[in-house]
Amino acid sequence: MSEALARPPQYNDDVVKKFIIATVFWGIVAFLVGTWIALELTWPSLNLGLSWLNFGRLRPVHTSAGIFAFGGSALLGTSLYVVQRTCRARLWGGEALADFVFWGYQFFIVMAALSYVMGFSQGKEYAEPEWHIDLWLTVVWVCYLLIFLGTLFKREEPHIYVANWFTLAFIVTVAVLHLVNAAAIPVSMFTAKSYSAYSGVQDALVQWWYGHNAVGFFLTAGFLGMMYYFIPKAANRPVYSYRLSIVHFWTLIFIYIWAGPHHLHYTALPDWTQTLGMAFSIMLWMPSWGGMINGIMTLSGAWDKLRTDPGLRFSVTAVGFYGMSTFEGPVMSVRTVNALSHYTDWTVGHVHSGTLGWVAFIVFGALYYLVPVLWQRKAMYSVKLIAWHYWIATMGIVLYITSMWVAGIMEGLMWRAYDRFGFLQYSFVESVVAVHPFYVIRMLGGVLFLIGGLIMAYNLYCTVNDETTEPVAGGLAHAH
Amino acid sequence: MGDWIVGLMMAIFGLLGLVLVSGAADTGMYVFGASLTGFAVVFDFGLLKKHYDRCDQARESAHV
Repeated sequence: MSEALARPPQYNDDVVKKFIIATVFWGIVAFLVGTWIALELTWPSLNLGLSWLNFGRLRPVHTSAGIFAFGGSALLGTSLYVVQRTCRARLWGGEALADFVFWGYQFFIVMAALSYVMGFSQGKEYAEPEWHIDLWLTVVWVCYLLIFLGTLFKREEPHIYVANWFTLAFIVTVAVLHLVNAAAIPVSMFTAKSYSAYSGVQDALVQWWYGHNAVGFFLTAGFLGMMYYFIPKAANRPVYSYRLSIVHFWTLIFIYIWAGPHHLHYTALPDWTQTLGMAFSIMLWMPSWGGMINGIMTLSGAWDKLRTDPGLRFSVTAVGFYGMSTFEGPVMSVRTVNALSHYTDWTVGHVHSGTLGWVAFIVFGALYYLVPVLWQRKAMYSVKLIAWHYWIATMGIVLYITSMWVAGIMEGLMWRAYDRFGFLQYSFVESVVAVHPFYVIRMLGGVLFLIGGLIMAYNLYCTVNDETTEPVAGGLAHAH
Repeated sequence: MGDWIVGLMMAIFGLLGLVLVSGAADTGMYVFGASLTGFAVVFDFGLLKKHYDRCDQARESAHV
């Protein structure tokens, strides 16, 4: 046994713990604000006549809290955990730099949310923060990249595990996307208002190149890194096919970057560009489903664990939702399907099958694995509560996405219906009235998902503070 | 060394926050500048506290 193996390095788990706590906190915030704005869509008077409570301002608070605060904290925390274990090296840059990344990232989230409710926004989906907040995020992100790269460089393992490849792609690509899409000219150094460096159709194309790759690299590649580490760990099985995971990685990152124009069908964007985006979106089926099969088949020989380990059930269901939403996405990118689906609630349902079913569930699975390990507990406080969380959250997602499918397809059909004189058959407001019942169902789905999140927070809190649970001797922090 | 670099970087950000507050033309920039300064001060105090905590810990373990 080499000396390195005999004396495992002391990992920096403090920063990971902080990110885990932030993940749970922001998750609850995101689900709560999401439920509130679903209520506002159902009964608009619930904005109470307050500007900072209206849908237009709270909507980016919800999306940013869900994607960047909840998802981002989970990604940063788990990636810093995984890179240390798979490289057998403590985080590069010292404790202060890691703390800066944690607190700096939280500062970014709070500043962004505050600016939205005050009415400041660049008006770009998933890229709403104004120029000064974008610059701050750039500083934090570069520090995160340095820590990650530095740890990879000083690794004591010769091989770089595939989860780290996905994470590195996530970090580097998000940096490039952010820098290009956020390019803007401020009115002055002292104003929180700027104008995009691009205009017209170029602005739209850059925005959706960013927007789709925020999905591809933030919400997909990053969480695939999570999948490739935590499912094998929780199932205690090796990855089904390591070779497939490498093929998955290279094909996914090559193809995803071209798919953005499918958001701009039937616009001023040149036809060939729209077709290119559509073609690459359809090609994405292959790597996406290859990865899904790899994730699910990792349970070969350990299927029985799905009965006894509801945490693992979360992870595997997440991979199922990943498969489902990466099937639905390419279908919706086909121009003729898009003619029906675009601008309708079908898109909203599609996004939520990905974010709730894939992103949130893979995070829940990782949290249920990680919290007992980090806080050195033998197990979670209550396995029964995990099962309750699983079923309540699953019911919430089913209500959400089915209601949005029905609402969306109905909207699309109503908007394109003509009478025999060639006039539009329905006014827009008639379609709004028609979808009202489905908005109520969607809101109920959100309530269920929020209840599930609260159950999880309680269970995790009790796990950490449960003094009857004996801490694991020697510290699991060493070699997982 | 890492503590010094990060501490200095935060001090610079704190000063930049003050500059932004001093000339802020709207609430958005005022809130951001003031928060940046507050964040930098709290972060640097946190670094100082951790440093002295580590010194205390080292002294205690030397006694044991």
